[in-house]
Amino acid sequence: MRSGSRMGDAMWGLAGILIVLAAWELATRLGAIDPTIFPGPIAAIRSAAQRLPASVFLDNMAWSLFRVVGGFILGAVAGTVIGFAAGWYRGFGYFARPLIELLRPIPPLAWIPLAIIWFGLGEPSKFFIVFLGAFFPIVTSAYHGITHVDPSLIRASRSFGLKGLGMLFHVGIPASAPDLATGLRIGWGLSFGVLVAAELIAANRGLGFMIMNERTSGGSVSVIIVGILLIGLLNLVTDAALAAFIRRWIGRWHGG
Amino acid sequence: MSRTGPERASSAAGAAPMIDIRHVRKQFDVRGGGEALVLDDINLSIAANQFLSIVGRSGCGKTTLLNIIAGLDAASGGEVLIAGRRVVGPGQGQGMVFQQHALFPWLTALENVVFGARSLPLAKAEKIDRARELLQLVGLEASAGKYPREMSGGMQQRIAIARALALDPDILLMDEPFGALDELTRIEMQQELLRIWEARRKTVVFITHSIGEALTLSDRVILLAPHPGRVARDIAIDLPRPRSRTDRRFNEFYEQIWSGLSS
Repeated sequence: MRSGSRMGDAMWGLAGILIVLAAWELATRLGAIDPTIFPGPIAAIRSAAQRLPASVFLDNMAWSLFRVVGGFILGAVAGTVIGFAAGWYRGFGYFARPLIELLRPIPPLAWIPLAIIWFGLGEPSKFFIVFLGAFFPIVTSAYHGITHVDPSLIRASRSFGLKGLGMLFHVGIPASAPDLATGLRIGWGLSFGVLVAAELIAANRGLGFMIMNERTSGGSVSVIIVGILLIGLLNLVTDAALAAFIRRWIGRWHGG
Repeated sequence: MSRTGPERASSAAGAAPMIDIRHVRKQFDVRGGGEALVLDDINLSIAANQFLSIVGRSGCGKTTLLNIIAGLDAASGGEVLIAGRRVVGPGQGQGMVFQQHALFPWLTALENVVFGARSLPLAKAEKIDRARELLQLVGLEASAGKYPREMSGGMQQRIAIARALALDPDILLMDEPFGALDELTRIEMQQELLRIWEARRKTVVFITHSIGEALTLSDRVILLAPHPGRVARDIAIDLPRPRSRTDRRFNEFYEQIWSGLSS
């Protein structure tokens, strides 16, 4: 799936975004959509800026980012350790895998009532929900990676006298890095999604709270639209940063 | 200690073999009950510095035998001695080269070779020096910083040889190392291996499907017959090197091995 340079691909992507934005703006100006419930992008940004100072937007973004990073790190660490352990140690795998499979299909949002009861309305309940969003894709990918290490690499490392933990750290884990990296990216996207949903329901700051609060307090639809765009933008930028980190980490030897 | 000086090898009566395979038998449990006999009473004495090839059809147990010598697989009966010591696992002086180069893709060429020396009691800097020397030996010192995916099949296999040599093993066990290479690269690699073997003098056990390859390289060719795997012929190849495939005696040996394989 290679088409031209990375720069050229980016130009096409940017063109697509600009075209949609322009069509949206044009549609409101021509009266095709009602600007009181769906203002155009320029009007939305202008009136959102009039209604709330930039610091409010930045503050809510910072809170959302803080929660998603915190919960994601917890989920990534737990998912990586448990996934590797379940794949490497057969006995632990027998024990842990059914438990993971049992809990995995439960949507993280279904835990919100329990999270509130257990952890209250403060930050720990958000971390918990984000943790769940990150944990399952990461634990699954770590497990898949470590159970699919090329057997010839295992044999080769045995011929150099590696075994046990040495083999886990020098062969099992590095060989699983590409699978783990995929899980990390999926987990990051999911973490973001469940956080915003959790903030819609139970929070008093953050981007999810901000847009829901505008709706319930009879505020501005423009703020809601700008809030949604910020959610998308924040996710896009952070995912690109994660992708760049992964490229630096394994890109040269793994490709892509 | 896996290192054995020549004084020890020669202290026994006559020339003690580097590798002594005694009554080695291997059977696998078959799914659904029963056992399959893969190797039956293999006996081979391989002298130090000998280049020995094992030729046979798929399923004759060549790779299993090599894995037993390597200590990666346990025999069901009998034993293998390396320089007089019974093999109980890897790291007793066996260096291995696999069919799929089996380089670690996340390590550079140099790092892969350094990895080969990991169990040696050397400082990191010494291991790196040794690895650079070996890269030079296989003609790839300029590619030290490349990752396996950035190298051709022939280069990858050279690195794999350098990695196996990093342990300074007494013996080099090679499991169809050039089987996946194209014909031209394969011939180059055979010449390369002979050059390395002359430079570093190892006992080599080389597994191949190719009669021509075995004849080009070896002092001795073992024909393994299948079901169960057993030594069918043991042929000394007393041709001078470099060998020519059009040489009359080369072709006589070829016929001899071919008739052994097809009988």
